[in-house]
Amino acid sequence: MSDFKVIGQRVPKVDARRKVTGHQEYADDLRMPGMLYGKIVRCMEYAHAKVTKLDLSQAAKAPGVVKVLGPKDVTQKGYNSGVLDLMVPEPVGQMLGDIEDQLVFTDHVKFQGDAIAGIIATSEEAAERAAELIQVEYEPLPVYLTAEEAKKPDAVQFTPLKPGNLAFALPIQMFPDGAAYAWGDSEAGFAEADLIVEETFTLPKVKQCQMEPHTYVARYGDGGRLNCWTSTQMPKCIHNKLARLFELPMSRVHVIQTTVGGGFGCRLGMIAEPQVCAMAMAVQGKPVKVSLLREEDWLGSESRHPGKYKMKIGFKKDGTPISMDAHWISEGGGYYTHASGVQFTLGAWLAGTYKWTNFRFKGDRYYTNTTPCGAYRGYGNPQNNFAMEQLIDRALNQLGIDKVEWRKKWHKTVGDDGWCMGVTYASCGLDECLDKGAKAIGWEDKIKKYAKQTGSKRRGVGVAVMTHTSGAMPMLLEHTTCTVKINEDATAELIFSCSDLGTGAHTSLQQIGAETLGFPLEDVHVRAQDSDISGFDIGAHASRTLYVGGSAVIEACEDAKRQILERAATALEANQDDLVMENKKVFVKGSPDKSIDVATICYQGVYNWVMPDTGNWIGIPGQIQGYSSYFAKHNSPPWSACFVEVEVDTETGQVKVLDCVAASDVGKAIHPPSVEGQVEGGIQQGFGQSCMEAMIYDEKGLCLNNTFADYRMFGPSDMPKITNILVEEHDPFGPYGAKSAGEGGQVAPTGAIANAIYNALGIQFTEGPITPERILKAIKEKGLQA
Amino acid sequence: MSSRVLPVFDLLLPSNLEEAVGLLSQHGDQAAVMAGGTDLLVGMKVGMSPAFILSLADIQGLDYVAFDAKHGLRIGAMATLSQVVDSKVVNDKYHALWYSAFTNGTPQTRNAGTVVGNILRASPAGDCCCAALAHGGSVLLQGPAGKREVDLDEFWLDYRKTARKPDEVAVELKLKAPEHGYGSGFAALTRSYQDLAKINAAARVIMDGKVCRKVRLAMGAVAPITLRLKEAEKVLTGQEVTDQLLEQMAAAVRKEVKPIDDVRSTAEYRREVAGVLAKRVVQDAIKSVAGPCPYSCFMGA
Ligand SMILES: Cc1cc2nc3c(=O)[nH]c(=O)nc-3n(C[C@H](O)[C@H](O)[C@H](O)COP(=O)(O)OP(=O)(O)OC[C@H]3O[C@@H](n4cnc5c(N)ncnc54)[C@H](O)[C@@H]3O)c2cc1C
Repeated sequence: MSDFKVIGQRVPKVDARRKVTGHQEYADDLRMPGMLYGKIVRCMEYAHAKVTKLDLSQAAKAPGVVKVLGPKDVTQKGYNSGVLDLMVPEPVGQMLGDIEDQLVFTDHVKFQGDAIAGIIATSEEAAERAAELIQVEYEPLPVYLTAEEAKKPDAVQFTPLKPGNLAFALPIQMFPDGAAYAWGDSEAGFAEADLIVEETFTLPKVKQCQMEPHTYVARYGDGGRLNCWTSTQMPKCIHNKLARLFELPMSRVHVIQTTVGGGFGCRLGMIAEPQVCAMAMAVQGKPVKVSLLREEDWLGSESRHPGKYKMKIGFKKDGTPISMDAHWISEGGGYYTHASGVQFTLGAWLAGTYKWTNFRFKGDRYYTNTTPCGAYRGYGNPQNNFAMEQLIDRALNQLGIDKVEWRKKWHKTVGDDGWCMGVTYASCGLDECLDKGAKAIGWEDKIKKYAKQTGSKRRGVGVAVMTHTSGAMPMLLEHTTCTVKINEDATAELIFSCSDLGTGAHTSLQQIGAETLGFPLEDVHVRAQDSDISGFDIGAHASRTLYVGGSAVIEACEDAKRQILERAATALEANQDDLVMENKKVFVKGSPDKSIDVATICYQGVYNWVMPDTGNWIGIPGQIQGYSSYFAKHNSPPWSACFVEVEVDTETGQVKVLDCVAASDVGKAIHPPSVEGQVEGGIQQGFGQSCMEAMIYDEKGLCLNNTFADYRMFGPSDMPKITNILVEEHDPFGPYGAKSAGEGGQVAPTGAIANAIYNALGIQFTEGPITPERILKAIKEKGLQA
Repeated sequence: MSSRVLPVFDLLLPSNLEEAVGLLSQHGDQAAVMAGGTDLLVGMKVGMSPAFILSLADIQGLDYVAFDAKHGLRIGAMATLSQVVDSKVVNDKYHALWYSAFTNGTPQTRNAGTVVGNILRASPAGDCCCAALAHGGSVLLQGPAGKREVDLDEFWLDYRKTARKPDEVAVELKLKAPEHGYGSGFAALTRSYQDLAKINAAARVIMDGKVCRKVRLAMGAVAPITLRLKEAEKVLTGQEVTDQLLEQMAAAVRKEVKPIDDVRSTAEYRREVAGVLAKRVVQDAIKSVAGPCPYSCFMGA
């Protein structure tokens, strides 16, 4: 397959130049005549309270204020910031219990930062000054920060629809085996086990930390059209959701996706679109900009799901993982959002990784008075990895089995059930990932060398593996359309709604388009981001854009190419099957002089006349456009292995990451630099989750670290050198053999770094993040092996 | 809630110190002096709202880093952290201060932020505060009645409170001249690179062979102000420095510090590593007596 011309090339990303020169426009750069500025008034002093009095009158009179909006001044329809309901058939949504429990402005504050009112003014400053004049009185309610507190019988109910504040548990109708995702008989498995390891892990609440804060502009006007500029990851879902929320036909809603300054899941679904659009509807004809401050972004947009993860694994002496029983209980925040999604997939990743003989998983999610949880890169997989990979290592230490060998032997592979039972793996390059990765880090030597250490600096190596998904078929709708418009000079526009979150998706899709059409890369242009122009795409989530979008691009381009060949066959009076298209020429196989330029065909399709001298039409009329409305046929999971070497300063508990090797089977790497970038960024976030990051709340439910000064992540200087190994195991379903690379990179590093610390100290950390504070405390309590 | 929009203020731009002091006598209580602004402007986005900002930007000649063997080091109010990092004399003779400036913030904030601003900010976590206190010295203040010097040991009164009067401008930081056998070291523990310190420590020793003749030990983020650890100093003074003695000193340090829990760390952790960090900076300081700056490997990094 090495005769690709464009695919696999290290071309500059399509957005690179504009971004590094500062020319790229983001939502906050938008300036429009008569623009107004909206401020969302949020409850900052309580995490749980009823608004007993809201007096907006002083604010309304403040200089520059155009309008103030309370809960009653806007639509009373509920919504769910997640958009999962658009992705499953209605009966399934009902079975899952998905609800719409959010309001544009609320009088029942469920977390610090909940929106209670809106102010529209002629400047951001005027809006902020007016916000200070709002008089609010609250009746404080008890604050529930943990599932235990929230489920107490006398707890205040977040919604009457979810008794006991249990937002979600796997439904018995879908999982008849005790409402668990299960096969075999896990109890019988444990009875047969030679070794059982059991632990409860605690996962922190972490933020996506995307660079661009959520910012929007909305304008209601233009003959009753609602326009919304947003850097959402899901423009088409927003299109549909805004139409429903404001009860408008979709033709009267226009969504323009602005440059996405980082997504990682935090722009999955709606964030503040409901508020900014409600404001725009209140001041018809005027554009309203709402630009969240970092701390509002922090509190008001979703985080990863934290929680407690109970896990029990049974092994035979030879390492056979005879039984797995796991129960995830998440503290999901103030609204329903992604309650059903993450709690299911977390178990799906557990199910999909290893060949558990017997398996059982339960996933619950409780309401708590914290920032609602939603999507964050990996969607449950990093939480699972931290626990699963560590507990496996604990057992392997006791069984005396090598950690790389065990993983090679027991990971699932081609033909096994994937994360969704019944959809089997079609490709798997994990063995190669493990082999190459182990060699690159020097696994065997280091394991031996670090087995016995003295002194205050202790080194360790760790490994973890993961599998993820490429799109969410068959669980969720996997649909993308693509139109390819061929211009009269034989250049092309790819028109679709696929989002590029900075990941390189548009570059890769352009490469796929050029490859399929046989055009040079510079003759293909991507046009996305406008709901008026491009057709449906479910949005950038589930690592699907390249995988599903890429297949849609191929289909559309093949459609266009077929039309070109059809016309060439007529012009050359040849059989279509005998034609070859190369370098923008179509010729008859074996007789290269019998040819026609693709440009001639395209030109004549557009400029088609009756010639006065002959009275004949030239060429064949009609501009060539290819089209695809593509539904994914598989979910081609990617695989990867991550190896980490650390040095722990046992006097301070500080961890220095010395080395990291990531070996990733992403199928064909369409644009290798983008894949490498995704892997490296994933490592950074994975390390952060395991060792540094956590949102901290005080007992009142107020967040103590809602800025980048107070919440730290791994920065460039904290990162080790990374060896990035791409294993390109061809996938039969993926576009040109590609699988996903978007989320997977974050998963295995979470487990690998935890295992490296475990290896260095002989102490396993069940609570994340593994901070120096926790390390030093554990060393003091448990002592170090000599 | 913070704001992107700075509160309204009047900007005062005196062109000399006398004028500055004059303006401060008029508006002192409502005015904030601004050097690099890297701390002040951040504060103004989260609630600080001075009616006047008196910027030192237009006063010529305050951006010096000057040394003479008799009087020691003088750092002017507008000398940036970057200037100190680039100064050969600081790198040669004031290792602790050099390293505290080198690890301070980011290249951008080092280019704007000043050493004197760091001292005046009076944060218990201030890196230069800690190093400067170990070196020992004073802050030169100029007010309506003229100039006065306040010893660093008396300069910080409480959390973010200094001995500076509202009508005074800090003109320079003075650090004592090195004597024979002089060495110094600084260390900070942070959550990530380029973070404010969880805890920092600095030591200045004057060695006579293996015997520690004099020592100044400073520690930050373990009390409302940067602390001198006098009990720990006593353990070392006049003694031959051995591992055992360092352990004794570490034990004294742990007793002397009064840390708290916050988002960066816990009191328990700070107390525990306080002793470790103290040992390390004393060892670095001793090492640097004979040799070059123990951190010179970072030069040009
Ligand atoms: C991203 C970032 C990272 C940072 N990292 C660190 C770090 O690692 N370590 C650290 O210690 N600090 C850090 N800081 C804090 C700060 O930048 C430094 O302390 C810096 O040295 C302050 O100097 P400045 O000139 O900018 O002070 P300014 O902001 O100008 O002033 C600080 C305070 O001192 C007063 N002041 C300044 N100069 C005078 C004067 N001549 N007379 C009277 N009063 C005066 C001001 O009124 C103000 O209260 C960081 C800040 C940022 C934004």
